[in-house]
Amino acid sequence: MAATDLDTEFVGRRKALFGLALRTTILTIVTLGLYRFWMKTRLRRWYWSAIRPGGQPLEYAGEPLEKLLGFLIAVVVMAFYIGVVNLLLMFASFSLLNSSIAAYAMSFIGVLPIVFFARYRARRYILARTRWRGIRFGADAGAWGYAWRCLAHWLLTIVSLGLLLPRQTFYLEKYRADRTQYGSASFTQGGTWRGMYGAMTHQLIGVLGTGFLSLVGFSGAAPEALYGLILSIPWVLYGWVSYRVRSFQYLTNHKELGEVGFDANPRPRRVLWIYLRGWFVIGLAAAILGGAVLVAVLLAIDPSALNEAAVQSGPRWLYFAVAVPFYFALFTFYGVLSHVMLTLPLTVHYAETLTILRGDRISDVLQRDRDDFAEAEGFADALDVGAAF
Amino acid sequence: MGTRIHVGAKPAAFYTTATYVDSKVAHPRTVALRIDEGAEALLISEGNTELACWPLKDIRRLRDQAASEGMVLKQIGLQNLARLYIEDPDTTRLLLARCDAPLRKERPMNRAKILMWSVAAMASVAVILFVLIPNMANLMADRLPAKGERALGKATFQQIRSALSEDEIVPLQTCTAPEGMAALQALGERVSRGVELDHPLQIHVLDDPMVNAFALPGGIIVFFRGMLEATQSSDELASVMAHELGHVVSKDPTRHALRSAGSIGVLGLMLGDFAGGAVVLFLTEKLIAANYSQTAELEADVFGLERLNAIGVGTGAMAMMFTRLQDAEGGPDAEGEGARFLRYFLSHPLTQDRIDIALKDGPTPQVTRPALSDAQWIALKAICD
Repeated sequence: MAATDLDTEFVGRRKALFGLALRTTILTIVTLGLYRFWMKTRLRRWYWSAIRPGGQPLEYAGEPLEKLLGFLIAVVVMAFYIGVVNLLLMFASFSLLNSSIAAYAMSFIGVLPIVFFARYRARRYILARTRWRGIRFGADAGAWGYAWRCLAHWLLTIVSLGLLLPRQTFYLEKYRADRTQYGSASFTQGGTWRGMYGAMTHQLIGVLGTGFLSLVGFSGAAPEALYGLILSIPWVLYGWVSYRVRSFQYLTNHKELGEVGFDANPRPRRVLWIYLRGWFVIGLAAAILGGAVLVAVLLAIDPSALNEAAVQSGPRWLYFAVAVPFYFALFTFYGVLSHVMLTLPLTVHYAETLTILRGDRISDVLQRDRDDFAEAEGFADALDVGAAF
Repeated sequence: MGTRIHVGAKPAAFYTTATYVDSKVAHPRTVALRIDEGAEALLISEGNTELACWPLKDIRRLRDQAASEGMVLKQIGLQNLARLYIEDPDTTRLLLARCDAPLRKERPMNRAKILMWSVAAMASVAVILFVLIPNMANLMADRLPAKGERALGKATFQQIRSALSEDEIVPLQTCTAPEGMAALQALGERVSRGVELDHPLQIHVLDDPMVNAFALPGGIIVFFRGMLEATQSSDELASVMAHELGHVVSKDPTRHALRSAGSIGVLGLMLGDFAGGAVVLFLTEKLIAANYSQTAELEADVFGLERLNAIGVGTGAMAMMFTRLQDAEGGPDAEGEGARFLRYFLSHPLTQDRIDIALKDGPTPQVTRPALSDAQWIALKAICD
């Protein structure tokens, strides 16, 4: 039987997403944040349904109420942890070390394992609620194993001044991928961490170049070397994007699902362009919004005098009357624009450049059992370390 | 009703193809769709094999789908994972017209369970905030070593200065004119004479018009410039300081700082990151931390009066201050010195009891001497100039 590859298409339109994101964000603000569980669910349904490997859409089956329930469960646990444990840490650090910095550091470090734990659980929840062709995805338990590995890898990366970052990226992804299933089939992560260094090339050029030029420039040997920073600092930025894209590509192309393989071809320059364009539009919108509000305030205070003194003398309630809606408007536009200008185009690009190799073999995959998830992604939500959408 | 599809006994007028997955295996099948008018059901078949038969009233359409044309259908029930993918706009329109309630919501979860968890969550957070953390803070305040207490006080002072400052980077300035500082120190020494303190008193004046004063862990007492301006004699200022010294001795500020350290994280957790969460957080924490208990205030008053007696400062000053407060017309929102003064004392709740204590307080010392000399008082008033 000849193998057939499956292309991935993306069918969502920017305008439709804009409407959905705008409506749900406003509802979230009006309900003092309660609607965010519905917002997340609806946006995910939209994104998932837009991604169609081999022509059939993904389906997101998470429920808003289970997220609310999960959040409540997480609040009970975390309130105890954050309240009581933080207080004990604070007490200990003031008693023993006479310093608050130690307490802040301790409570930050104390919450780190829970952050990693929450991320793994949230990923597992999302997979458990993702279906394609009527078959569930899923992941094994293993959040604590993930949490301590994260701590250890981060420590290594920091100690090695970032040189072991590819090792961290590789092993953490391997941990996650090897525990991921689609129906009765399991993913396996191949490749080696040394193979990831290719992804780091531009990052290294940027960082080493900047370091070298600064050294030469600031030491006085050749001050004109500092002009080189104009090139080398953006190179660091590009290097970072390039690392993210290329490491994703390496890891995806070395994954297997039974006999099925993957071929991802995202382009770093395209991703960089999406980021630059997205942040430019968001910045422009914020500037226009801010400028309009400023002019409105000035005119409200004194139509004849558009100067600083007028701002100083305005009544206080006026600032509030203008500042509060402005704040919410800014929040709304940031949320909506980051969906429309960043998340959407990035998802489109990653989806459309993904091919599933020997995709016809997927037809043999069987259903897996439902993974009940009492706390959903409650911990990630409570700690605000949830997925991008 | 929209378009009606007439289906005779034999030939199916409604006949089209779609893609179907049966939820058992990841194999999409091209299927034929037909409506069985007798059974009021959608028949899904592949070749001659009938794969599924969905009653029209049980068919639901997936919501929030990105595709502008076509739809995904399912049979009601969360356990039903079989899906029908329809691309063709005409089929979509015709079939939707025949389904009774394609968009009716399925009730996925037991609402009683959600309600129960909501109540449980609120209750346990309340227990943590209002029982566990305050009790722990009380226990810890008594056991915190002197050095640690001072460090806690310094950290809290820094936080307050940063929070009150209009500038993001530079904290609110303290007033440090040398003669004024000397006078302030002299006042502190006089008020605390004979009191056993864990720490030497550290007294600051913050350059802010607020009429307020407060104590911090580790023997730190802070006045605002506004308080210096509002008091009319050194005796009045001495009575405020004696009151704050009462808090220092009873370790109220230490309890307070530990308590807010515990509760601020919990509140942040509850309110989340939604718009302005930080603002709401700040305000709520303010509300919770606004004052010590009424008992603590009364005890500080009693302590203060005893102090004034012990050091030979007329206790009339405190009574006079309270009377001025009562005379202040217009309530806390009005402008004017009296009202501003009143606002400060709102966080130190003013009750008839407190005035009575101040007025009726035992024998006034035989010989009274102003808390500070005129020269010292003038220097202190000019500490921010």
